[in-house]
Order: sequence, then structure tokens, then C-alpha cells
Amino acid sequence: MNLKLRIWRQKNANDTGGFFEFEATDISEDMSFLEMMDVVNQQLVKKDIDVIEFDHDCREGICGMCSMVINGAAHGPQRGVTTCQLHMRSFKDGDTITIEPFRAKSFPVVKDLKVDRSAFDRIQEAGGYISVDTGNAPDAHSIPVGKAEADRSFMAAACIGCGACVAACQNSSAMLFTGAKVAQYALLPQGQPEREKRVLNMVRTMDDMGFGNCTNTGACEMACPKEISLENIALMNREFLKASTSER
Amino acid sequence: MGLAGAGWTLFVAGHMAGNMLIFAGPETFNRYGHAIVSNKPLLYGTEAFLILCLVVHVALGIILTIENKKAKPKKYAVAANPAKRSSLASSFMALHGSIILVFIITHLMTFKYGPEYLVEYGGETMRDLHRLTLEVFSDPLYVVGYVICLILLGFHLSHGASSVFQSLGLNHPRYTPVIKKAGFVYALVVAGGFLSQPLYIFFFM
Amino acid sequence: MSLQSNEPNEPIDKMWENHKFKMQLVNPANRRKFKVIVVGTGLAGGAAAASLGEMGYNVESFCIQDSARRAHSIAAQGGINAAKNYPNDGDSIYRLFYDTVKGGDFRSRESNVYRLAQNSNLIIDHCVAQGVPFAREYGGMLTNRSFGGAQVSRTFYARGQTGQQLLLGAYSALMRQVDAGTVKMHTRHEMLDLVMVNGQARGIITRDIISGKIDKHAADVVVLCTGGYGNVYFLSTNAMNSNVTASWRCHKKGAFFANPCFTQIHPTCIPVSGDHQSKLTLMSESLRNDGRVWVPKEKGDKRAPNDIPEAERDYYLERIYPSFGNLVPRDVASRQAKFRVDEGRGVGKTGVAVYLDFADAIKRDGQDTISEKYGNLFQMYEQITGENPYKVPMKIYPAVHYTMGGLWVDYNLMSNLDGLFVGGEANFSDHGANRLGASALMQGLSDGYFILPNTVGNYLASQTLDPVSTEMPEFEQAVQESTAQIDRILGAKGSKTVDEFHRELGHIMWENVGMSRNRQGLSDAIQKIGDLKKSFWTDVKVTGDNKYINHELEKANRVADFLELGSLMAQDALNREESCGGHFREEHQTPEHEAKRDDENFSYVAAWEYSGDTAKLHKEELTFEHVKLATRSYK
Repeated sequence: MNLKLRIWRQKNANDTGGFFEFEATDISEDMSFLEMMDVVNQQLVKKDIDVIEFDHDCREGICGMCSMVINGAAHGPQRGVTTCQLHMRSFKDGDTITIEPFRAKSFPVVKDLKVDRSAFDRIQEAGGYISVDTGNAPDAHSIPVGKAEADRSFMAAACIGCGACVAACQNSSAMLFTGAKVAQYALLPQGQPEREKRVLNMVRTMDDMGFGNCTNTGACEMACPKEISLENIALMNREFLKASTSER
Repeated sequence: MGLAGAGWTLFVAGHMAGNMLIFAGPETFNRYGHAIVSNKPLLYGTEAFLILCLVVHVALGIILTIENKKAKPKKYAVAANPAKRSSLASSFMALHGSIILVFIITHLMTFKYGPEYLVEYGGETMRDLHRLTLEVFSDPLYVVGYVICLILLGFHLSHGASSVFQSLGLNHPRYTPVIKKAGFVYALVVAGGFLSQPLYIFFFM
Repeated sequence: MSLQSNEPNEPIDKMWENHKFKMQLVNPANRRKFKVIVVGTGLAGGAAAASLGEMGYNVESFCIQDSARRAHSIAAQGGINAAKNYPNDGDSIYRLFYDTVKGGDFRSRESNVYRLAQNSNLIIDHCVAQGVPFAREYGGMLTNRSFGGAQVSRTFYARGQTGQQLLLGAYSALMRQVDAGTVKMHTRHEMLDLVMVNGQARGIITRDIISGKIDKHAADVVVLCTGGYGNVYFLSTNAMNSNVTASWRCHKKGAFFANPCFTQIHPTCIPVSGDHQSKLTLMSESLRNDGRVWVPKEKGDKRAPNDIPEAERDYYLERIYPSFGNLVPRDVASRQAKFRVDEGRGVGKTGVAVYLDFADAIKRDGQDTISEKYGNLFQMYEQITGENPYKVPMKIYPAVHYTMGGLWVDYNLMSNLDGLFVGGEANFSDHGANRLGASALMQGLSDGYFILPNTVGNYLASQTLDPVSTEMPEFEQAVQESTAQIDRILGAKGSKTVDEFHRELGHIMWENVGMSRNRQGLSDAIQKIGDLKKSFWTDVKVTGDNKYINHELEKANRVADFLELGSLMAQDALNREESCGGHFREEHQTPEHEAKRDDENFSYVAAWEYSGDTAKLHKEELTFEHVKLATRSYK
């Protein structure tokens, strides 16, 4: 199939950037979306034009590196799928595809479709862990965890930190990312000692990083390639309310 | 934000139900209005509560909207496909909220601070709100504006009424779908009830 | 030169404990004075950096991704082994040790493997304490599954995302240390060279992937945890950016590269669909627990799979290996698939695939049960291929997955260069010629959490370390070399893209140094790679410059090293005149086409010293005192 691509190009964070048009010809429907981008880039090299920069790594939907917005949707039109797992059979011959970087103040564009998501690392540093040094941890079976809680914790932990939630949210809120991390630990007995400190620090760091507020539109949940539930945001709200009222 | 909105959410239902008395004839309606304004503690209490809720709701709304706009300096060139797009109601809360605010002010000017027609029932003089209402709703322009604003109120409520539960941390796979449906029905009933009044008056009275 | 493994002279079950006791220690108050560079933030690197930070060392951690959380350990699906014996099915440290040595086809070091088995239990304890959400039973206890043909259930898992959960555990520990100020993170930084000062590894040269700036970093010790080199085949299950550059540049600075030809070809991957293919996707090995592998009996049978009657199907693994059937180890399953395709009985559009059929399992257990077990994998398969595996058999084919070879290390995980430690897939140590399923995660974390923090400390405490600064000529020279290579790439202004070279290299490697190797093919490969390398330096075309982010340049730098590595792999495979594990030499097989090992002549680690185009071989003899040398048989 043949496609017309409208791709956002931007030299660096300070450049204003704009859309450029490219042709993608002879695209097989078995290609992944990023393989289609590879084809376009190879042709650009042949024509002495700088390649379109985009982030990608594992190409199996787990590393969270790929990050573009395809036709207005983070990770493209399908639910529960990352860009790297999107295949060209989702498109038709003659389609025009608009490709943009994730847009958020806290995710400045590095170049073209690459953005800087290090704000997520800062949130994680603020408390996204259980303080246990390597050494003689108690036997793994000394802490039983009910299957229901363990499963819910796992569902929250499935977050790949790609930032699609922020990209899709009209307010660039990072509540789903932060909520998922808070929930993973709040649901486990191991996470209890630092429960209050964790939610307070993570939420405050999230705000300091310039992410917007949650207005419960649910766009994040729809964009999330791992289908992390809004339940995690509610859980974080609850945790934050409790922790901030009892804070000394 | 949510809690302050919840105050108004509850109020509009009561307001709508009371207004239904318009269908019970002028006397009942006017007596109902009079009873409310005569009960000073109730009146001032409710007014103070609503003003407080409104100020908090609007102020927080403005602050959040400014922060949120800053967090998203650039929007996407195209809108996402329906499977990945949030509802219209939830996406434009600030917009319909602003229109509703303007509506509340004009609404108060029209009715509360509007012309004071008087009427007497059994020796008691009171405002003839029934006449005022009929007069106002005979103006097609006003009716159109009123209808639009109430549809927007319905939208606003359809998201707000259930959203407050999420903001307060209440989300449960068993109850949330019910809460969402209930919120929608609530919005439909409130907006529908309000709408029935001008439409009935305009077309049938 | 004969290599010394430096394993302590102690009984194997007390060796590590006694060794730790005899180690020299660094006083807690002095640790912050030592700077440790850790390159890579996967399971080994992330765990090592976090643990060293916790102990109080001054750690600098580097990764090429935009966050430490994205290292390719994240993609491991199946699980992690441990000898906990929770299911009471007769497992023990000794059995895990035994299975791993045997599974590695007797080409690993017993002492290292024993320690790995000992540490396996500590890993589970530590990860649970970190909040890793492993699968559990209703009673709240951890659950295990049998994996990769093991006779006991010793694999801990978190659905199909075990690697992700373990890596996020290590990442969270690392982020905690970043917050505590003991670890400084350098993301989007790629190591380009190792700096040796007075015979000790004392620093690295990096390229800032964003700005293109070449930076110098001095330290007291360098720990390399930069993963495997499977991308030398162009197509592999590795991430697109996984590369050998850090290891290879250390090799060029004198570190020996051990057993480079030992690569693992994983049997259950989604087949190549066309020339556009950029990478291959693994489908968890657990699928073989319920799926049956078959091809048509007739050559070139083009009928749809469901139209081929039972009698005309060849369930070849069940036929050849009646006792293990579809659960034979990875190397055997992969090789057999290749034989079927070579016979002309491959399936699908390309003819390079075999069927993995769930029809019987669905009939037996119902679609719901199968979906509960493999739902996410089936979904992923359908996403990629557009076919519904509940209705049509899956098509699978082997793909390069893991590399057992790597930089040579001694018992302390130190390379032959003083002060250069190597952990995880980047070293060669524990898996011999074939890695068992669910063992890679175990090794990465064992190295990172429990071995390196001890042995690095011992090294620091026992060395005389002169002060170094990045102003020293050794650093300057390394910067100049790295810059010169970049300039040379940019200056070539040829006609072929980096990917074209990489693809061509991959093709040579897959055809000649892949699942089945022979003398002629290997010699040809060396010749062809040599030619390709020459043309690379004159004909590569990279757009842009080195003043800002330039992905083509990044790739070119890596492919330059893959070209040299490919040649060494062929040389190693040519030298190893035997078949063992993932290394199958056609000249050395039994009449039934099974691998024929030569313990008399090849029971050694082949460690190669860099010296231009033909490397110099050093041997570390392997002795087996605890696991008796035996032929692996899965019949």
C-alpha cells in the first residue's frame, strides 16, 4: 500500500517545529508501524536528508520506549497496544497518517518525535520503591499475600512508563503513572511502612514537575497500552487524602 | 472542586423538583416561592452555602484550568479516533462550566432580581412569580438560550456527578459502573425536568 | 597463556561463603571515597549499582536508554528459577546446579554455577521484599511452574512479564539510591571506550546520545553489565539498540572474549514475514507445554493446516524424542525445526516455519483454560500476524535470543584486565554452551545483587589505586580514538545505509554461523565478513553530523563493532571441532543427527585475545568433579 505521512519535525526543544509531508510507498500490511518508519528513513538517507528521529527499542511492547501520537492517539488507534506493536494492516491504501510527538510541558521534545520523559524518573525517585537493602531479606514465604491483592498489585505494576497517559490527557496529568506505582506498593504488605510518606512525596514531585491535574476524563486509561485502570488514580486520591490529613 | 460541585448538584435537583409546581397552577407555585423567601434562616443559610460552593468551585476551576493549559502548551493537530477519545462532556467541563456561570447570573437577574409583580392570596401579598415565568418563557430567544444552557448543565452534571466519587477515591469495579450510570440518569432527570417547564409554557400556555 | 579462574580451593558448597569471609573489606566510612562506574542498567547493572550505592560507594551508572527502566532484561517473559523447593518435589541447590551444568552441555565452570544455584534463593527473598508481585496461590504463598523441560517446578513468575517485574524492582532500588545521592545516573550515554591506566581499568569514554559530546569519566573500578550481542545477526529477539560496543571496545583494550560462538537460538519465535523485518518476537517457551509441533509429511504441501489430515502430519519432536516430546531443550527443538525446513517441509508463505498447534489442548481443556494460560501471548501473536491461533495453528521458527559467550571473567567476575568486572549476559560464565529457560534472570540478579558488590569491594580493598584524573593522556588518547572513528564514519559518505550493511552481516551470520555450522561455511563467513568490513569503511552513508542526536551515527558505531565480532564468532566456531549445546558442527554429529561432544579435546573455555583480524586463543581448562560428564539425551 501507499501512504501519505504528515510528520512533525522539530530540531530541538527551542525550535518551533512544523509538519512535513512524506510518501511511504510499497508498504506491506505485515509491517509494523515502526518498520514502515524504517523504510521511510532509509529512503531519506539515500536522499541525503536527516532521518526522522523517534524512540524505540524492544519492539515487543514492553520497554516503554516508543512514544508517538498517530492520528491524534497516543500509540495509534487501537487500545492496549504500543506503537511498536501496531501493524500496517490497521491502515488502508491511500491513507494520510499524521504523526506527532507526545505533547506535554513536562515532556519537552528532544528532536522530531523523541521527547524527554525523565520527569517520570524524578517521580519514581521520590518514593517509588520499598526501602530494603540487598542482604538477608526474610524468606519469601514469611510474608503471605492474598491472591486478590497480589493480582491487583501486579495489574498496577504492569505499567511500562511510556507516558502515553500524559500524552493523551488534555491536562498532561501524570496521575495514572503515579497512581499505578502508589497502588502497586499500597496493596502489598511490604509497602505498608512507607505508605504515607510515599504517596505524599510522589504526588508532590509530580506536581513540581509541571504535570497538570486530573479531571477524570479517562483519556489516560484508553491510551494506556497496558490498560492500567483508573481505579489506581482513585486509590492514590484516597491514599493522599488520608496521608495529608494525618501528616504531622 | 468536586465537593463544591456536589453542593450545587444536590441543589439543582431540589430546585428542579420545586419548579415542577408550575404545572400545579399559579397559586401553588407562588405560595411555594413565598414559603421559601419567608423562611429566612433557610433562605440565607442555603444562599450562603451555595455562594460558598460556587466561589470555591469557580475559583478552583479557574486555577486548575490555568495550570492544565500550562501543562499542555500545544494540542494535537487531529483528534483521536472514538475508541481512544474521552467523552465530550468530560473534555469540555471548563467551557460549559463558564457558560453555566453566565447563565446562573442572568437567571438570577431575570427571576430573583426581576420585576416584582405582586399577587394576593387569602389576604397575603406575595410575588407573582408565575406571571413572571410565563412572561419570560414566551420570548422565543430566551427559551432557546435557556434550553441550550440547560443541555449544557446536563452535560456538566453527567460527568461531574460521578466524577466526584473518583476524585474522593471511590472507585470499585462493582459500584463504579453503577455510579456512572446513576450520574448520567441524574443529569438526564434534572436537565429534562428543567427543560419541560419552558417548553411546556412556550408551546402550550 | 593458561587462564586462572581464581576459584578458591574450598569444597564447592562452602566455597562462596569461605571466600567472602576471606575477602578484604572496605570500611563503611571509606566507601564513599571510591568511585565505581557501572555501565548498563539491566538486571545485573541495575542491581549492582543499587547494591553498591546502598553499601555507600560513590556510583556512576550509565545507560543508553532514556531511563534506567528500559534495559532489555525487561522483555524476559517466562520466569526465574530458584531452588526453594516450595512445591516439595525434590528440588535442591545441588539439583539446580546439576541441571544447569548438564543443560549447559558441560562447558561452564562448576564453581560459578554452584554459587548461582545458592544465590537463586536469596534473589527470590530479596525481590519479594522489594515488592515484586510474583504469582501467588489463594493461600497467599508463591506459586511455581515447570519450565523448559525441567523435571521440577522451580520457576517463579509474574504472568508473562517476569523480566519486567524484576527489572522494575532493581530500577526502584536504583532510583532510591539516586534519591539518596549515592548513585548518579547518566541516561542516553553510550560507552565508547575503556581507559586503562597503569594496567588497571580506571575510566570510560562515553558519547552523550543527545548532544553527541564525547565525555571522560574516571573511577577506581569499572563494572560492565551491557548485555549480549545477539544483534550481530541483525534479526534477533534483542532490542533494537542492544549492542556489543562496550564489550567489544574492552576486548580491543585487552579483555578476552570467551566462547563467542555459543549463541542460543530460541525455538518459539514468530517467523520472519518479509525483507522489511526489523526484529523478531519471542513467544514464551511455556507454549510448548500445551502446543504440539508439526509439519506436513509431504514436501511442499501447500494445503491450509486445518485441511491436512492427522495421518499426513509429522509431529516430529514427539516422534524423535518420545520421552521429552515437545519439551526438549531449546537447542534441540530449534535444530529439528531447521532440519524440517531444510528438507522442504516448512510451512507458511515463506516455507520457513513450523506449526505449533493448540487444537488438541483446546479440545482437551477448553478454550477458556488455554486462554487463561496464554491469552496475552495469543493476543500478541494475532496482533503481529493477523491470524487467530485459537482457530489456526501458530507458525513458529527459531530466532537468535541469547548469547552464552561474553567477556571472560574469573570466579570474582573480574576480566583478565584488573579492575574491569563484567556481569550478566555480557560475561560468559554460567551457562556453558546452552542456557536453560528461566536462568538468565537468575544469573543477572545473582551477579548484580550478590556477587559483584562483594568482589568489587574486595578488589578495591586489596589494590593500590593511584589517583587518576580525566586530564591524563590515557583519557585524551581514548577520546581521540573515539572521535576519529566517528569522523571516519561520517566522512565515508558512501552509498549504502548502515542497515544495509547490518542486514548483510546478519544474513552471513545466520546462514553460516547460525543453528548449524560447517568448516566450509565458517571459512566463507570469515572471508565475506572481511570484505563487508572493508566496504563498510569506504561505502557507508550516514547523514547529519555529531553535533546533536543522530541515530544513524549511533547505529553505524555499533555495526562497525558487530562486523569485527562476527568474524571472531566464526573463528571460534571453526576452532571448536565438536558439537555442544547451541554450537552444532555438521562434521560432528551422531548418525541420528544428534550433537557429538568432544570432551577430551574441547573441554575448555576458548578465550580470545584481540590482535587485529585473527585473534589469539587462550584456554581455561574445565574440570567436572561433581557433575559427571555424560551425553545429553532427551530420547
